[in-house]
Amino acid sequence: MKTLVKATLIVAAATAMASPALSDPLEDAITARRGYYQVILSNFGPIVGMAKGAVEYDAEKAATFANTLQTLSMLNNGHMWPAGSDNAAMDGKPRALPKIWEDFPGVQEKGQAWAAAVGELASVAGDGLDALRSKVGAVGESCGACHDTYRAKSF
Amino acid sequence: MSEEGVTPTELRRVWDLPTRLFHWSLATCVAVGWYLGEYRGFDTIELHFFFGYAIGGLVAFRILWGFVGAPASRLSALLVSPATLLNYLREIGKPRPSYWAGHAPLGSLSVLALLALLAVQATTGLFIEDDALFAGGPLSGSVDAKTQGTLAQIHFIGSRLILAMVALHLLAIAFYSIWKEEDLIGPMISGWKKVRTDHKAASNEATSTDAAD
Ligand code: HEC
Ligand code: HEM
Repeated sequence: MKTLVKATLIVAAATAMASPALSDPLEDAITARRGYYQVILSNFGPIVGMAKGAVEYDAEKAATFANTLQTLSMLNNGHMWPAGSDNAAMDGKPRALPKIWEDFPGVQEKGQAWAAAVGELASVAGDGLDALRSKVGAVGESCGACHDTYRAKSF
Repeated sequence: MSEEGVTPTELRRVWDLPTRLFHWSLATCVAVGWYLGEYRGFDTIELHFFFGYAIGGLVAFRILWGFVGAPASRLSALLVSPATLLNYLREIGKPRPSYWAGHAPLGSLSVLALLALLAVQATTGLFIEDDALFAGGPLSGSVDAKTQGTLAQIHFIGSRLILAMVALHLLAIAFYSIWKEEDLIGPMISGWKKVRTDHKAASNEATSTDAAD
């Protein structure tokens, strides 16, 4: 009996210790994609700063950020959107609307439009401030087009 | 309807100049501001803010004018009693002009609703931002992300309600013009409106039952 109790306690303790590592795959996917967008933001932000004149234009930096953005646009992120990780199913955590899972072609279309705009930005980002400015707006607007349709305003 | 000629009417200047200027400025700013919000772009988002401030200022002015303006513009005239409203609703379907010396009761309520909606819209706008366009209201840094999300949701729903109210407003004008054969646009331009002589300026001072009832 004593051994049984001991064994039970050990198993319970081990489970308790292991559980943080065995985190929810849905939560992981959400963390991953939110991180992905934060990385996008951190590369796009400085470019916008230059376009708006808040930061001085630097051709080399602009090109690096834009190229990184382009690389990010080519990453496969399909695994970051498991079914059941929408904002209706996971109350209060993500902002991804269920509509995403009902309309994958639509999401892809917005994603491709965004990638195309990023590609155009990357091809001119190092060619001077005016060239950069001429392509920044389309990128921001393509982010917004996806958010307006597939992302909830509130958590 | 046969008693139509019974109600004596006269031409009266119901809308004072500030109210008329306010009205057409607001109409312009809401149309342009709404468009600039709905189709906001990288280069035009700041213009959306600008029109939003203008609307906020106009609404503030209108509330002030509601205390000092001409009788038909007073808030006291817009705050109609349920009895006045019910009396008016009973006869609203009759195909003859209301000859109301100001906003008819239902219209009064819609004015108040629209002003309230626009006030909420301009206020929530101050606190929200568009993270793709890297632009936001001047107070967007002062609230946490969750609150900001809620306010953005209110700003979005508000923009739909404003659109609905504007549509209703235009439909009502068409209804008065076509069905009741009463022109409401002319008076908002010239200030002069054909009104019942027994009608006091403030709508809630009037008895809405007339000889026809
Ligand atoms: C194909 C659609 C799409 C495109 C294009 C897109 N996003 Fe998003 N973005 C989303 C979705 C969906 C979410 C919500 C993810 C969630 O919370 O589940 C999101 C979330 C975000 C977030 C919030 C991340 C967090 O911490 O919660 C930021 C910031 C963001 N995006 C920035 C951008 C920027 C900047 C661009 C363009 C350079 C962009 N996005 C392009 C769909 C898109
Ligand atoms: C009072 C009149 C206003 C009207 C009618 C109005 C209307 C709108 C509309 C229709 C949208 C698009 C909604 C959407 O698709 O998400 C919008 C978005 C927005 N508005 Fe306004 N707005 C007003 C005032 C303001 C003000 C005063 C500000 C800030 C100073 C502001 C800031 C914003 C921002 C930042 C967005 C983008 C929100 C987002 O990305 O979720 N607005 N507005």
